[in-house]
Amino acid sequence: MSAAIEIRDVAKIFRQSTGLFSAPRMVRAVDGVSLSVPAGGCFGIVGESGCGKSTLARLILGLHPTSSGDILVDGRSLLAMDRRERARLIQPVFQDPFSSLNPRRSIRDIVGLPLAAQGISGKEIDTRVHAMLERVGLRAEMASRLPSQLSGGQRQRVAIARALVLGPRIVVCDEPTSALDVSVQAQILNLLNELRRDLGLTLVFISHNLAVVEHICDEVAVMYLGRVVEHADTDALFRAPTHPYTRALLASVLTPEPGLGIPDVGLGDAYPDPANVPAGCRFHPRCPIVTDRCRGEAPLPRKIGARTVECLLA
Amino acid sequence: MSALLEVSGLRVRFNDVAEAVRGVSVQVNKGETHCLVGESGCGKSVSALAVMGLLAKGGIRTADTLSFAGQDLRGLTESQMSRLRGDKMAMIFQEPMTSLNPAYTIGSQMAEVRVRHRGGSKREALDRAAALLGRVGITAPGMRLAQYPHQLSGGLRQRVMIAMALMCDPDLLIADEPTTALDVTVQAQILRLLMELQRELGLAILLITHDLGIVARMAHRVSVMYAGKVVESATAEALFAAPTHPYTNGLLDCVPTPGKVARGAELGSIPGSVPRIPLGFEGCGFRDRCRHATDACTRDIPTQSRIPGHDYACVLPSTWPAEHAR
Repeated sequence: MSAAIEIRDVAKIFRQSTGLFSAPRMVRAVDGVSLSVPAGGCFGIVGESGCGKSTLARLILGLHPTSSGDILVDGRSLLAMDRRERARLIQPVFQDPFSSLNPRRSIRDIVGLPLAAQGISGKEIDTRVHAMLERVGLRAEMASRLPSQLSGGQRQRVAIARALVLGPRIVVCDEPTSALDVSVQAQILNLLNELRRDLGLTLVFISHNLAVVEHICDEVAVMYLGRVVEHADTDALFRAPTHPYTRALLASVLTPEPGLGIPDVGLGDAYPDPANVPAGCRFHPRCPIVTDRCRGEAPLPRKIGARTVECLLA
Repeated sequence: MSALLEVSGLRVRFNDVAEAVRGVSVQVNKGETHCLVGESGCGKSVSALAVMGLLAKGGIRTADTLSFAGQDLRGLTESQMSRLRGDKMAMIFQEPMTSLNPAYTIGSQMAEVRVRHRGGSKREALDRAAALLGRVGITAPGMRLAQYPHQLSGGLRQRVMIAMALMCDPDLLIADEPTTALDVTVQAQILRLLMELQRELGLAILLITHDLGIVARMAHRVSVMYAGKVVESATAEALFAAPTHPYTNGLLDCVPTPGKVARGAELGSIPGSVPRIPLGFEGCGFRDRCRHATDACTRDIPTQSRIPGHDYACVLPSTWPAEHAR
């Protein structure tokens, strides 16, 4: 399988101003990530808030320039593409359909905007918008509505229609169902799955919800404080998590099974701060199996069979 | 066991346009967790606010029974209610940042609760605050007391909220989506803490959530709400072993559960979305989304029992899920 996206040692550092006279904080949001996303699959990126997963999504979409490293989409560097070219290849779906759609534009204008930006004529835009709305399960007469007249699930369908209207090869979904109710979440997940199969899309699926990722993704990368700490097939990762952080994440999934109680995830209350990355292994202040070596030595990614783990003890 | 909080026939409407709660009955016993579960707009939060007398302007509450520790809450004045809130009846909300005052330190906010309800010196109140912060798993409580809310992470703020709720030894804790804004690992820590505190202090907890996973792990009793009504109520074991209302069944099918649905296979889903219920609506609020709806669903819906203590509001016989599976 060829790679749809090739991420090569990418870093993104934000300067955060902390006032007139103090030194700016350097937030290392993504800190040396290398990943290869195979074409035609669904690739999951999971982690807690602040781990850099959304920043990585924005880097892949070309919405932020990288601080260092390179990203190849469909074999070509993002740097070598202009905006229009990029838009035909890769498109986003964001978390909150309440803020990602322009409230003053009709659905037709919202879904048609990527086409207009490519210089396509009004008539063809109408035809393609209508076809796309139907494809995502919305009636054609929705085209004249405003986002405020739609429910959350309908809005997310509009966001998906907008992402697909140019026929991209890759769609990056950043928490696409987190703002939705469970019954609506299931509708959207079913739709994404169906579209992926029918259109041969590559999906990058970013989420903090591990049950959803387990359901929809073939491969999963776990991020912690800007780095990928474990990367494996979904089955392998969920059956035998190897990194202690992955284990804690999986332990904290609360499945609807009564009588099991709430597990002890054993992470303590030292919360990670991407502006102040701990020395050695960056997970060591929270790690339940930390050793002295972890405090001084930063682990490098290691291949164990088909999985990659970044832990000195693995 | 007598109920600490007993609510029956609770109704809430807003300005004669919408009825958000349409006859809800809930009992919470000492040392027990009762979960109200449902999707957004089902009336679960409004029910809790109505119990506490915290409805927004224009909200009108009526109830057949509304009693807390044997005291009828219906006739209480606002000042009597506010003496109860934060004292014997404490609450925590979803977003701790909006429920903490950004202009005051953690210590002064926590101490104020104690001094206002119980009197005593500020010094004593601060000592108690420090002890409680330690109890909820915050290291260096002395330092935290002097900090402002924005200096704490989301998980720490929620721990502070819990400690603050405990300042006056409450009997009942009402928690409205207390972990929804938190990361999964922190969520597990906070929920575990609530369970420990319940065992230790005999707290009664009314937990409001949309997450069936939390319900399964935390609840003794569950009430599933839809469109302002409790559509099914049972112990957690009974509910998950034999969900009987079509809505509960639909909701459970929507949750991707590892090992239950094959990867990429279609999840069950409920068509449409939560409707707005106009004043004077009759029949089942779920009928427009229900596969089993018939003409009977437009009339008054009977409450049936599957087994004693497991009630559901639907015209179908309790054996329908098995018959449907065949």
